[in-house]
Amino acid sequence: MDLSIIAARISQKIQTRGKNVEQHEIEAKLRLLVDEFGVPPAEAERTVISELGREYQVQGLAGAVESDRHPIAELVPEEWVTVEGKVVSLSTPNSPSIAQTGIIADASGAIRFVVWAKAGAPHLEAGRWYRIESAVVDEFRKAPSLKVHSGTTITPLGTDEALLPTVTPVAGLKPGVSSVRVKMVQEWEARSDRILQTGLVGDETGTIKFTIWKEEGRDPLVPGTVYDIYYATVDEFNGRLSLVLNSGTILPDEEAVLEVGTGGQVYSGAVVHVGQGSGLVKRCPVEGCNRVLSRQNYCPIHEFQPQFRYDLRIKAVLDDGVSTKNILMQRETTESVCGIPLDEAVGIAENSPLGMDEVFLRVQSAVMGRYLDCQGREMDTTVLVTSAERRRFDPVALAALIDRAGGEA
Amino acid sequence: MNPPQSSSAGRREVRFEREPARRVFAAELREARHQFREGTEEKSPTYVLLPTGQRCNRVFVVGSMTEKQRQGEQNIFYRARIVDPTGTTFVTAGNYQPEAMQQISQIEPPAFVAVVGKPNVFEAPDGGGVYVSLRAESVTVVDRETRDLWVLDAAKATLDRIDAYGTTEDSRRAAGEYRIEPALFRKTVADALAQLNL
Repeated sequence: MDLSIIAARISQKIQTRGKNVEQHEIEAKLRLLVDEFGVPPAEAERTVISELGREYQVQGLAGAVESDRHPIAELVPEEWVTVEGKVVSLSTPNSPSIAQTGIIADASGAIRFVVWAKAGAPHLEAGRWYRIESAVVDEFRKAPSLKVHSGTTITPLGTDEALLPTVTPVAGLKPGVSSVRVKMVQEWEARSDRILQTGLVGDETGTIKFTIWKEEGRDPLVPGTVYDIYYATVDEFNGRLSLVLNSGTILPDEEAVLEVGTGGQVYSGAVVHVGQGSGLVKRCPVEGCNRVLSRQNYCPIHEFQPQFRYDLRIKAVLDDGVSTKNILMQRETTESVCGIPLDEAVGIAENSPLGMDEVFLRVQSAVMGRYLDCQGREMDTTVLVTSAERRRFDPVALAALIDRAGGEA
Repeated sequence: MNPPQSSSAGRREVRFEREPARRVFAAELREARHQFREGTEEKSPTYVLLPTGQRCNRVFVVGSMTEKQRQGEQNIFYRARIVDPTGTTFVTAGNYQPEAMQQISQIEPPAFVAVVGKPNVFEAPDGGGVYVSLRAESVTVVDRETRDLWVLDAAKATLDRIDAYGTTEDSRRAAGEYRIEPALFRKTVADALAQLNL
């Protein structure tokens, strides 16, 4: 084969990734391998491509010539690929133009796949291995997915290799399909009837929101229990990741103990606003609801709930003079920051003519204008504060500022 | 408020970023003259340009309330003087600031207070010159330590503005609007810190 043709092909391939390599440079590399080292042209082509790929930091170049399979973990969008993997999960397609959706995995990783109805592909079965030739990788909400179309060939494989998923630490999750080992940390109130459960799971490296959609055979997670979750879907929405567990296999490990890292941050500033709904609130007693009731003890879902529970919280704005953060403090933090325990707050509300407003006013006067260092995590637009401390006057900071002010007077 | 930063796709609502409350010593705030509106809509925010070169739509001040005055019969209106180590900041609250007004009404000067408010530049009707005041959103009694922390905070913020002077759009604008040398406020900061050191 004429090496200049190969060189032109490689050059073009690299150009499509926005990089430019001189064709004669490529040809020289090929010639060296083929002429000097007796490497077969096809192998030389592969070698040069992967070398250039590394040099120019272009991923997935090598794949395009490999006639053999590609490791699933290395698939990148806009590539035609061949994979061999096991269908580890099937889900119900949400469009008639889709025949099947699910997750296919090999030893390197897992990816979502979509079989178009028009592809005329054979029906894939969960738990079986397939070779999928000439499928296309594309990207949906930053997560790669494998599209099976009419040009794709699917061959069932006889193998039944055991497949042990690689576990990814929570802090290292990216959109796509991942396996995690996490503890169920917190249950949140679901905003939709279609959600079976939502909340927070975490491992040593951090925490992440999870959702389980209502589906037959799905059970909610038990708080405090450690789970191995294989092939969950990691979604990105508004820059935040969350785990959807429906695609996954969930295995509880009741013996296990896992220390969950907060992965949080310190947010410092002065409280410049204390929002309505701070102070003493009444919560719906219905299991798993926990919504804040109106003044008339009305829950938007469970209607009147005279047997409510009292709770303390603060919704406020923390401002460092450059930017602001909405913060939410739960009962314990509220108690320690304001110095008002819940039972005392209940007493104030019951004895004051202003009722719960009196608690609001006391909480407001305890935190407004105060400098706080809050440990917490940002969720949506609000920092969920896990602990907060009043900032103390630091003579060292004063000395440093005096130096700075006097420095160039 | 700044232009929409991001839209939360689920509900398609526009998310606004709250204006941060700038830390400004009285000595600098009283020199502010230039007020402008960003955008042309009725609700577009107005800003006061500080001589050290930063726009502010909201200010955070902690100092001693030394005096308060109630004015008006039908429309009650409070004025208060808030003293920091560099001078006095004037704070007002009227019917449109009911929370701040009620708070001021309950405070007996002298007291350390934290004030969050919107700055305004006024021209006195009798030709008495131009002055700046804060229309309070909230006035809360605080302790001395909070006041001391604020002096540190305001000192740092002022030095940051002086150091960034000439590098930001707002500071170039300030260079055109003001004849005060921003470096002068370095002395203000040093004096304020020296008082804490006593």
